[in-house]
Amino acid sequence: MLYYAKTEALRMLRNRRYIIFVVLFPVVFYLINANIYGDQKDAGGVRMSTYLLVSMAAYGALASSMMSSAVPWAQERQSGWLRQLQITPLPSWAIIVTKLGAAMLLVLPSLLLVSAAAVLQQGVSMPAGQWLPLLLSLWIGTIPFIALGLFIGSLLSADAAQPAAMICMFALSLLGGLWFPIDAIGGTMRTLAHFMPSYHYANLGWNVIAGNGLPMSDVLIVVAWAVVLGGAAAYAYRRATVRA
Amino acid sequence: MNAIVFDHVSKDYGDVLAVDDVSLSIEPGKTVALLGPNGAGKSTSINMLLGLLRPSRGTVSVFGRTPRQAVAAGQMGAMLQSGQLIPELSVKELIDLVRKLYPEPLDLDEILKLADLTDLVKRRANKLSGGQSQRVRFALAIAGAPKALLLDEPTAAMDVESRLRFWESMRGYAAGGRTVLFATHYLEEADEHSDRVIVIARGKVVADGTAAQIKADVGGHAVRFTLGEQPAAGLDLLPGVTAVEVAAGTATLRTSDTDATLAGLYRGTTLDVRDLQLSGADLEDAFLALTRES
Ligand SMILES: Nc1ncnc2c1ncn2[C@@H]1O[C@H](COP(=O)(O)OP(=O)(O)OP(=O)(O)O)[C@@H](O)[C@H]1O
Ligand SMILES: [Mg+2]
Repeated sequence: MLYYAKTEALRMLRNRRYIIFVVLFPVVFYLINANIYGDQKDAGGVRMSTYLLVSMAAYGALASSMMSSAVPWAQERQSGWLRQLQITPLPSWAIIVTKLGAAMLLVLPSLLLVSAAAVLQQGVSMPAGQWLPLLLSLWIGTIPFIALGLFIGSLLSADAAQPAAMICMFALSLLGGLWFPIDAIGGTMRTLAHFMPSYHYANLGWNVIAGNGLPMSDVLIVVAWAVVLGGAAAYAYRRATVRA
Repeated sequence: MNAIVFDHVSKDYGDVLAVDDVSLSIEPGKTVALLGPNGAGKSTSINMLLGLLRPSRGTVSVFGRTPRQAVAAGQMGAMLQSGQLIPELSVKELIDLVRKLYPEPLDLDEILKLADLTDLVKRRANKLSGGQSQRVRFALAIAGAPKALLLDEPTAAMDVESRLRFWESMRGYAAGGRTVLFATHYLEEADEHSDRVIVIARGKVVADGTAAQIKADVGGHAVRFTLGEQPAAGLDLLPGVTAVEVAAGTATLRTSDTDATLAGLYRGTTLDVRDLQLSGADLEDAFLALTRES
């Protein structure tokens, strides 16, 4: 099962689209924005370069979660690879759990690269007591999005999963305030953001860098989303693999 | 204990009856061909054996267990009728991935040798030709050293040369006392590469035995002549004859013994036999006779 997880991760790293959209895009986007707005401060007095670190790391992690789950999974179901695995001794719960694990592993490059860019190019510095909860929460907090990806991949054909995953990813990023701070927009967007798991997810990070620690309410909301989307993914997976 | 048992197994998809009350058993160590035309129910039977489909009625067992239990114990390996590989992985990575999921797999080198892939280990799956991918799929099927190997039309997409080598590999694998069941459309393939042939058509077993027995049963030879206006009655009673067809004044007698049939025709009847033609053991004819809609 470990080897399975390793090969899963390996194959995504060989996927050009994954590398461009998920690994490079957030870093480049961060560097551009941070170089323009980096010296400004947000309402709480945090430098924008740090604020954007959280936004772009969250965006990268979100994009990676969905990209490495939905489409590959739909393809494997359709191409018969899933059946090939189903006739090995690997239990069927292990297949989906491995997918989740591998997808989590694949979140790390974008998280770490954006952080590295922030430190090296923007001179962002934080005590270890902030880095650790920041990276951990942004890492573990991807579970609901991976579950959403697997849900889409179990439900739709590969052709339909591609746009569906893209739309979800852009909607979550935009409406969750990862691209533009919702405080800067306000109004209905702000209300809408509170319904997005992505907003609460990124809010974990924003609170950490503001020195507030992890906000309990956001943690609970992200966990709730993980339970709901995880349940939906498990249900769709069972439906997709059920023996007629 | 039998390797494979079907006990009054039926499978329907809505109102299509794909497998119709099939009962059979296969001893361990045998290589058996499942022969039938398109839509006969071959893939459905194989998928039930692997636990990918559940029978609508009856039970399937493998080494005395349910198919799912046998799969979980690593006793099953299969080449399904359709299936693609993961494009980004190399041949070696794919084989290793599957090997490591089984409790007692074959050695990598042995698999590569059996599947004739030694030169392609590093090749990525998306750069393989159709026949090469088939070989990789064979490698994945045997990777876990399964006691029962199921192959669903394994030589589709292979050229003549690859087919020959493929069957050689299959024999090599079966030689270790393993049970092999393969589905095919061709009587010739079934004849050459199996100990026993089970012919299915429209979901039912229509013949079962060695290839030689089946050929004899359906009358491997044909005697054809112009009957004209003469009555056909009694032709089916001639020695050796298994079936009689009369069309456009021409009679075709299927027979398992040409000499006896001819002797009977000339000495035992008063028919005026003209334009006599004999055709040898035409395997495809025999197969068609068996599986044709009756
Ligand atoms: N998922 C399905 N839904 C409905 N009918 C099906 C399904 N799968 C197979 N059938 C029908 O069941 C019958 C048996 O199909 P099966 O695939 O077992 O045939 P086969 O012997 O493998 O044929 P082939 O040589 O073409 O592979 C066919 O009439 C087919 O149309
Ligand atoms: Mg078939």
